[in-house]
Amino acid sequence: MFCLSELEDTVRVPPDLLKLPLEVAIKKVLQKLFLDKVLSIGLCVSIYDIKSAEGGFVLPGDGAPTYKVVFIIVVFRPFVGEVIAARFKESDSNGLRLTLGFFEDIYVPAPLIPRPNRCEPDPCNRNQMRWVWIFEEQEYIIDDSYQINFRVENISYPPVPTERAEDGAIDDDGLGPVSWWEGCSERNNEDDDT
Amino acid sequence: MKANAGTVTNFEVLDLLNSRGASNDTTRVIAPITTLEYKVYDYLMETPACTQTQEIITNFSDQCKDFKLAKAEILNIINIRPSSTVNLASILEEPSERGIDKKAKEGILKLVEALLPSPPIVEARGENEEEETEEGEQS
Repeated sequence: MFCLSELEDTVRVPPDLLKLPLEVAIKKVLQKLFLDKVLSIGLCVSIYDIKSAEGGFVLPGDGAPTYKVVFIIVVFRPFVGEVIAARFKESDSNGLRLTLGFFEDIYVPAPLIPRPNRCEPDPCNRNQMRWVWIFEEQEYIIDDSYQINFRVENISYPPVPTERAEDGAIDDDGLGPVSWWEGCSERNNEDDDT
Repeated sequence: MKANAGTVTNFEVLDLLNSRGASNDTTRVIAPITTLEYKVYDYLMETPACTQTQEIITNFSDQCKDFKLAKAEILNIINIRPSSTVNLASILEEPSERGIDKKAKEGILKLVEALLPSPPIVEARGENEEEETEEGEQS
């Protein structure tokens, strides 16, 4: 789910931060520049370490020194095929939307929800649709009562790099709300005993 | 620029945040952790990562070598901690073609059971949801 990436960038440290130790000041500027932004390598979550900072030259007409910084950041970059535990956020007729707290653009399109299923208007929330999985004549509702395990199918970066969307699948064994499988595996064990 | 300087397990990210002073109590405001990092911390505390240590992970990866799993699969197993064959099935890719039979799957699960501590019990959100949304709106 998370990766370390090494980057090099030219960083301008505003004069009001110069009273702090250099490493702290550079880290503050890097956090403002990179944190919570989706780069081509993923969603930047944290500055891990600053490997080196060179330069410190003040360009003419500017009051702030500029450093060439080599640093390592922690990025959230899932790979296709990874299984991640998420929470239910909302659902509509196109599918579900899941969230990880720090990343909210996980979509499970309708074809990837376990079949047979049906979609009905949610009795608790008029604007939303609720998905229900029908298995062996029992109905399982997909809602926010438990964690949902999903497998990453596709990652897409929109042209304007503000958010990034992921497509997930929950139509395979072991995926979907965790409670389904805990209940199911208990049932299977009973069957084996008899 | 190196795009991939190494994949890290969820535990390692949690450890990093912990070492910087992240915690669940009121010292949150004082520690030098950003809001986004706290969201990641909160997420990770609900996964099996919060019960693991570096030793456990190294030990587990070493012992997994016998099963010829891909690095990505070992990472997935450490992060998710499957507790049944059904959970494991979604992680393994084409197991029958690689010679991973039922016995091997059971072997892997036994290793998980023995080496990786059980995940925290994540309570159902139903009743707490109202409180949480209120806090969300206030902050």
